[in-house]
Amino acid sequence: MKGVIFNVLEELVIEQCGIATWNEILESQPVEGVYTSGESYPDEELFALVGCTSTKTNIPIEKLIGIFGERLFEGLATRYPSFIEAESSLKGFLISVHAVIHMEVRKLYENPNLPDFAYEEGEDTLLMRYSSPRKLCLLAEGLIRGAAHHYNTAISIDHPVCMHKGSDHCDLIIRFL
Amino acid sequence: MMPSNTEENAYKIAYEREKRARLKAEEILESKSRELFLKSERLKESYDLLQKQQAAMLQNEKLATLGTLAAGMAHEINNPLAFVTSNIESLIKYHHSYATVIAFMKEISGTMPDDLRTDYEKLVEEEDLEYIEEDLPELMSDTVEGLTRVRDIVKNLRSFARSQSSDRDLSDVVSGIESTIKLLNSELKNSVDLKLDLQPVPSISCNLNELNQVFLNLIINAKHATEKQPKPTISISSQTSNSEIVIEISDNGCGMSEDVIKEIFVPFYTTKATGKGTGMGLAIAYGIIKDHNGEIIVNSEEGQGTTFTIKLPIE
Repeated sequence: MKGVIFNVLEELVIEQCGIATWNEILESQPVEGVYTSGESYPDEELFALVGCTSTKTNIPIEKLIGIFGERLFEGLATRYPSFIEAESSLKGFLISVHAVIHMEVRKLYENPNLPDFAYEEGEDTLLMRYSSPRKLCLLAEGLIRGAAHHYNTAISIDHPVCMHKGSDHCDLIIRFL
Repeated sequence: MMPSNTEENAYKIAYEREKRARLKAEEILESKSRELFLKSERLKESYDLLQKQQAAMLQNEKLATLGTLAAGMAHEINNPLAFVTSNIESLIKYHHSYATVIAFMKEISGTMPDDLRTDYEKLVEEEDLEYIEEDLPELMSDTVEGLTRVRDIVKNLRSFARSQSSDRDLSDVVSGIESTIKLLNSELKNSVDLKLDLQPVPSISCNLNELNQVFLNLIINAKHATEKQPKPTISISSQTSNSEIVIEISDNGCGMSEDVIKEIFVPFYTTKATGKGTGMGLAIAYGIIKDHNGEIIVNSEEGQGTTFTIKLPIE
């Protein structure tokens, strides 16, 4: 997992609970806590920090991952504004994630372990088929909500097929309201 | 307490400033990485292009050197070949005279005095004249055949090494392709699926017989390449593009390795079994197309097939 994800988690925790809480979370884990955006760190380290944050804040982990996803979109949008500026609509942006954004990430980093997205466009829906060994579909949902907020677009997300229910992919159906 | 508060605030302000500096540093790093990536991509493309051009240049130089060598060899061999051929023709005539005399001697030997006849028969036996008489015609015809082969090789070498335009007429290249296909009809029918997309092209000043030889060589090679394919297909197309006539002859045959591709236009290079190919077909094709100020390009992938592209300028 890229350091930038850790950086945004740090921002979220500091904003909501203060810097002391973030220091306590880091101290409770066998981690150095120094994260550079372009560097890769073990996935387990992020999961452990998110788990610890959930315990500290009493927010259930699933809910916390969703909140983190929304905040992650904001963090990434601030750092890489060109991808947002290139697309004028939420739908266009979501479609550009796989072919444009992930492609650009691959140019910068070797083996970035990106999730796969396949798309099916409906009249007022967009199916995003998510597959990744990390099974972070809830984070993806949060990111989509963060994007919808940014584009000021009302949506609902259905998640009828899920890797956590034994499927090999997740279907995220975004309905544009 | 005010001082500690102030100190704490000072650290917070410094922390936030450092954080902004870090974000900026990371942004610069990523933008430089992206620049580096794009530059490295462009460099890679240029390098690949340069390598291709260098390979093409080396190939052209090699073939030009071989052309000079071939022309020199052809010239040097041609002179002795001319008098050897002429002498053999004379020898065949001379032999005929000798044979007539020997036959006459044999005929009259019965009328010779005994001692003379005995000497004559002894001489005939000692010199093995009967065997010589039997063997000589075969030796002569084998020699003539050998000389014919040498003459063909020399002719092929000169075709490869040609450097002068000869017998040019304003001709329709597509009609040349069509007549070559007709010529090969019995060879191709029932054995390959021939797909034609022959767009009309402007007539150009060319030696159509020579170009037909190129088409013939390429189509025959394509046919041989597809022999082991379950669905052998040869596609031939013609079109005009950027003041050039572009002819493509493709097959779905066995294809060629990089090592083979490097050598295919070299005289006497062949992948066929000994005695099956002269190794001159593509060398001659190359010579003819160069002589027409054209280009012959090969693209091939092992197990997939081969495409020969011929480009001829429209004057």
